[in-house]
Amino acid sequence: MESRIIKPALGVYVALFVLFLYGPFVVLTIISFQQGPDGGPQFPIIEWSTYWYRQIFGLTPPSRVAPLPFGEALIRSLVLALMTMVVSTVLGVMSAQAFRRNFKGSAVVFYLIVLGMMVPGVLTGLGTSLLANNIIGIERHWYTTAFATHVAYTFPFAFLVMLAILNRFDSSVEEAAWSLGVDPWTTFRKVTFPLIFPGVLSAMLFAFTLSLDEFPRTLFASGRDQTLPLAIYGTFSVEIHPNIFAFGVLTTLFSFALLSVYGILMAMSVRRAKKMAMQEDIA
Amino acid sequence: MAYDLQLSHIGKVYDNGTPAVIDFNLDVDKGEFIAFLGPSGCGKTTTLRMIAGFESITSGDLLIRGKRVNDLQPEKRPTSMIFQNYALFPHMTVRQNVMFGLEVKQLPVAEANRKVDRILDKLGLTEVANVRPTRLSGGQRQRIALARSLVVEPDILLLDEPLGALDANLRKSIQNELKLLQRDLGITFVFVTHAQSEALALSDRIVVMNAGRVEQISPPRELYTRPQSIFVARFIGANTLISGKVRNVEGGAVSLDTPFGALVAEPPAASITTGASASIVLPAEAMNVLPGSMAEAEVRAKHGNVVPCQINRLQLVGHILQIGMTLPSGESVSLEGHADKYRDTLRAGAAGYVAWNPADTTLIAQ
Repeated sequence: MESRIIKPALGVYVALFVLFLYGPFVVLTIISFQQGPDGGPQFPIIEWSTYWYRQIFGLTPPSRVAPLPFGEALIRSLVLALMTMVVSTVLGVMSAQAFRRNFKGSAVVFYLIVLGMMVPGVLTGLGTSLLANNIIGIERHWYTTAFATHVAYTFPFAFLVMLAILNRFDSSVEEAAWSLGVDPWTTFRKVTFPLIFPGVLSAMLFAFTLSLDEFPRTLFASGRDQTLPLAIYGTFSVEIHPNIFAFGVLTTLFSFALLSVYGILMAMSVRRAKKMAMQEDIA
Repeated sequence: MAYDLQLSHIGKVYDNGTPAVIDFNLDVDKGEFIAFLGPSGCGKTTTLRMIAGFESITSGDLLIRGKRVNDLQPEKRPTSMIFQNYALFPHMTVRQNVMFGLEVKQLPVAEANRKVDRILDKLGLTEVANVRPTRLSGGQRQRIALARSLVVEPDILLLDEPLGALDANLRKSIQNELKLLQRDLGITFVFVTHAQSEALALSDRIVVMNAGRVEQISPPRELYTRPQSIFVARFIGANTLISGKVRNVEGGAVSLDTPFGALVAEPPAASITTGASASIVLPAEAMNVLPGSMAEAEVRAKHGNVVPCQINRLQLVGHILQIGMTLPSGESVSLEGHADKYRDTLRAGAAGYVAWNPADTTLIAQ
């Protein structure tokens, strides 16, 4: 009786949810196959074509629509996201590791770290920019000032992920290693790290994706050379052509590819973790 | 210098001010098997972890082979620990688990391999050497933990309730293996348990702990027959405690006024004075149950002490007779005796006597 009402209602809710989530992307995908170079970013589709995809890769003859100026911005964004991922994950693992023991002022340090994701991005960006220009007197670059804001923003995410992972970590395996005469650093490398690796993967994914499409902080802190989100936003202010949609589809596919790699690595690690959990259950 | 392990006035106070271990003193000979026995929360595991180096020591000195190791990191101590959940490395094979401690010692590969092979063989793990430990049974994982700890040749092996996770049958057989292994290797074992049967069966000496303090340190037999405190008397074995006041001390006998009348006991090691309160610890094994048809004086003359009782229950289980009785104080006592000893002499529901020899009891002054 109950399920006859609630189940369909929940089904409709989920369908709407999925529609809102993927609706824009579906529209974007359809329009990216608009005829070019005369077709605009609107319905109806005059004729299906892959013109705009070819245009992105420079496979079309020159026309009145300029090719997207994304090449360098894309590389900058990827490099920045990678740098951010590495630094934030290392910091996240290290600080979460520190929080396994109670230390004086740990509560203050905790909120200081988490503040990085709470403070409005525009303020962080603007503040960093003012600090660099007026007080320290250095030039702003995507790889210096913007990089710093990205780390301050993504580090708390990596930290929280690692904190949750280490919370459930059974430290007796570490003690076992120490008691065998293995020093703490080797123990961390050979015992702790392999076992918390699924969490490290998640922390890396968070840091990478958050940095890749970070906008407000980068807007103020990146200086002359633009990152990808800024470059895309820049093209909107002139005229929008379906090539930007084709580009969106490609980046989304890239993200899915990244997620798949993550998923595969995760599945492998989780299988191992499950075995470990089983071991503990029996024990 | 002769001692392998010395704990001298060891104390541990947690950061929040709770004392966990108070004034722990123990000297352990090389090759001795020591058990820390006590209820949970008594400080036995904390003491073990202080020896291993996982817990800081608040006061006192910890010496291993004459060297003070209070501030030595765990990896630099010649100890190795077996954990209750084994704490095997789930991402390594059995062989890698056992090899792990040798890798950092930078032994020649051939020698390390030989050592690993030998210990795997000794513990019957050769066949599963290349399997992940997660796929193995509790008994096998117990042996892997042993192999992993023993291959690094520690001076002292610390075991934290290592049999707690095993089922009863397996526990018995691993218990025997453990004892043989320890004799064979001749290294010192310190074993934490809350199961008295394990401690009594395995160890050379037992340290009974309660609420952070050492109650008694004795060989198993002595601990069982000669408890030195009320706590130990209640914790070990099946004892009945009879409290009373000392009436007089004369030669080798103390007579007491108890709720069951005058009873006689042997004097305790510490001196005892007339008028002091004391408890007679009466082990179930020392009790003889006799039919009420006998004359009390005759029973007293033969056994020394006698208390009337009501026999409630007689149950024959194979060659064991289980007897349930009520003492005049209302206290129920049950004991087991060999069926032949009591053949056809007792009847359930009838009156009887409990009698014992004063030499079989212990007197504890209070």
